[in-house]
Amino acid sequence: MGWEEKAARGYSEFVQVAQQSRGRPVFALFSGDKDAQGRSWCPDCVTAEPVVRSELNSLPDGAVFIYCQVGDRAYWKDPNNEFRKNLKLTAVPTLLKYGTPQKLVEEECLNRELVHMLFTED
Amino acid sequence: METSVPIVFVQQKQIGDYDKTLKAHKEGKIQKLLETKGHDHVQDSYDYDLIVIGGGSGGLAASKEAAKYGKKVLVLDYVTPTPQGTRWGLGGTCVNVGCIPKKLMHQAALLGQALQDSRKFGWQFEEKAVKHSWETMTEAVQNYIGSLNWGYRVSLREKKVTYENAFGEFVGPHTIKATNNKGKEKFYTAEKFLIATGERPRYLGVPGDKEYCISSDDLFSLPYCPGKTLVVGASYVALECAGFLAGLGLDVTVMVRSILLRGFDQEMANKIGEHMEEHGVKFIKEFVPTKVERIEEGTPGKLKVIAQSTDGREIIEGEYNTVLLAVGRDACTRTIGLDKVGVKINERSGKIPVSDEEQTNVPYIYAIGDVLEGKLELTPVAIQAGRLLARRLYAGATLKCDYVNVPTTVFTPLEYGACGFSEETALEKFGEENIEVYHSYFWPLEWTVPSRDNNKCYAKIICNIQDNERVIGFHVLGPNAGEVTQGFSAAIKCGLTKAQLDNTIGIHPVCAEIFTTLSVTKRSGGNILQSGC
Repeated sequence: MGWEEKAARGYSEFVQVAQQSRGRPVFALFSGDKDAQGRSWCPDCVTAEPVVRSELNSLPDGAVFIYCQVGDRAYWKDPNNEFRKNLKLTAVPTLLKYGTPQKLVEEECLNRELVHMLFTED
Repeated sequence: METSVPIVFVQQKQIGDYDKTLKAHKEGKIQKLLETKGHDHVQDSYDYDLIVIGGGSGGLAASKEAAKYGKKVLVLDYVTPTPQGTRWGLGGTCVNVGCIPKKLMHQAALLGQALQDSRKFGWQFEEKAVKHSWETMTEAVQNYIGSLNWGYRVSLREKKVTYENAFGEFVGPHTIKATNNKGKEKFYTAEKFLIATGERPRYLGVPGDKEYCISSDDLFSLPYCPGKTLVVGASYVALECAGFLAGLGLDVTVMVRSILLRGFDQEMANKIGEHMEEHGVKFIKEFVPTKVERIEEGTPGKLKVIAQSTDGREIIEGEYNTVLLAVGRDACTRTIGLDKVGVKINERSGKIPVSDEEQTNVPYIYAIGDVLEGKLELTPVAIQAGRLLARRLYAGATLKCDYVNVPTTVFTPLEYGACGFSEETALEKFGEENIEVYHSYFWPLEWTVPSRDNNKCYAKIICNIQDNERVIGFHVLGPNAGEVTQGFSAAIKCGLTKAQLDNTIGIHPVCAEIFTTLSVTKRSGGNILQSGC
C-alpha cells in the first residue's frame, strides 16, 4: 500500500488532516512557511526537508506523512501559538510521530539515521 | 555477526560460527593457523570492543562514555514482562518503574496536600471541586517516560552506540546470544563485557501472589485506579508507594513483617512510620500474607488476603482492591549464562562480587549497578561507576568510584534525606563515648499558617569527637529533604566539622538553616521541642 503525503497550513488544518488519518501511523514535519519562491524563512527547515524526504521510502505501509507549514516568523515566535501550546512544539523544524512522544527537533532532523529510526522503529 | 554456535577462535583469531568454521577447515585455513607460532593475533577479531548487557542507568552511562573514546559498543536491553504482562522501553528501572514515576506521583500527592493548605492562605474553592484522576496522572507520567525512552534511543544513535532490544546471555568465552521478542537469535563477540542487568521485584512465594498481586513494575502504568490497597513490605519502595497512594486519597494499609526501612537509621524510620500512621495509613505489624484469593474480577476487582502473625499464633483476613508487593528485589543474574563463562555470583543473593574497579572474577567481564554485592542500589552510583569504568578502560584514567558518604533520600510523605552513618552504625563503629549527636525538631514556616505537624520535622547530625567533631552522619526529616541533603553531602565530602557548620550563617527562613544552629546533644537529654520562630 505504501505511504501517502498530505499538506497542511496552520494549526486547524493540521488537526483536520491528522484526524482524517486516524488509525494509520501519522508522521509530520513542521516547517516555517515557504515564500512565493518556495523557500522557507527557517534556514534549518530548508536543510532538513531533503534529508527527511530521502527517508520517506522507509515509512511503514499505510503511513501518512504530513508536511505542515506552521506560519510566518512572527506567528512562530509568539510563545502562545497553537503549535507550541497544544502540540508542545519547541522549535522548527520538528519531525514527529503523531500521538507518541517520539520526535526529532532542529539539527536532529538533519541526521538521516535518526530520521530512519523514527520512521522504522517502535 | 554469527548465526549459529559453536563460535570458533584459533590463536585468538575469530573464525566464526559452524558454517564459517567448516568452510575455513575445508580451505585449509584452520590448519595453517594452528601451525603459526607467536603472537600473531588480530586486534579487530571481535565484533565489538564492549558489549553492555542492560540498558539502565549504569549500562547507558558506561556505553555512551566508552563510545566517546571511539570504542565500538553494543547495548542489549530487554524487559521480561511482569506476571501481569507489563513491559517498558529503554532506560532501565529508574526511568520506567522507579525514581522517575515515583517522584512524579509523590509530587501529585504533595500537590493534593498543598491544595488543602492553600485555603488557609486565602485560596477559595469548594471541597467537592477537588478530585483526583488516576488515569490523567498516569497518562501524563507515562508520556514523560516515553519521551525519556525516545531520548535515550536518539542519544545512543547520535553517539554511535548500537542498541538492540534483545535478551543477552553468555554462551561461551567472549560470546553472547541476543534473543529478541520474536525469538530470533543472534550471536555477538566482544573484547570486554559489562553486566548491568539490575534487579526485579521479588514475589512472596505464596498461592495467588503472581496471579493476583502487582509490584512496583506494574503500579506506575496501571490503567485503572488501584483503589483500596494493601502494600506488603517495609522497604522504601513499600513506604513511598503507600505514602503517595494515601496522599491521592486512597485507603491504604501496609503489612510489615518486622522493622521499617531495614538498613536505614531506625529512629528516622520510626518517625516516618508514625507520620504516615497519623496521616491515615494503616499498619499491620508483624504479619505476613499466606494466601491471596480473588473474590471479584474487575479493574481493579476484589482480593482476599489471608495473613499469619510472625509468631504463628494469629490468622487474619482482609479485603482489598489491589495488593502491591514490595518485599525486596532480586538481581537478574541467574538466567544470563554466567556459569558458561565462570562469573562467580553470591549463590544466595544472586549478586555479583566485584573488585574496587568493578571487575568480576573473569578479567574481561565487569559489572555495575544494582547487581553488585555490597554496593548501594542507586541510579547516580551506577552512572558514576559506569562512567569512571569506561574512562579507566579506554581513556587511561585511574579514578575509582567513591562509594563512601553517598547521599540518599526516601520520598515518603515526610521526606527523609541522609548522608553518612546511621546512628546505630556510628555507635557500633566508634563507640558511644566517641560520638556526639546533635538534634532538633523544626517547623517549616510554610506549615505554620495551615497548622500542620509541629515538632515532626527533625534534624540530626552525628559527629566524631576524636576527629575534630567531623560530621559523619547527616539526617533530615522534612519537606524537600533531597534538596536540603545534596548541599550538605558536598560539605561532608570536604570534611565538614561541627565548628564549620556553626560558623556557617543560615539562610532565613528555610528548613535547612536548622543545621547551622544545632546545639542540643542527645547526651544532654535537653528539650528540642519547638515553639515557633
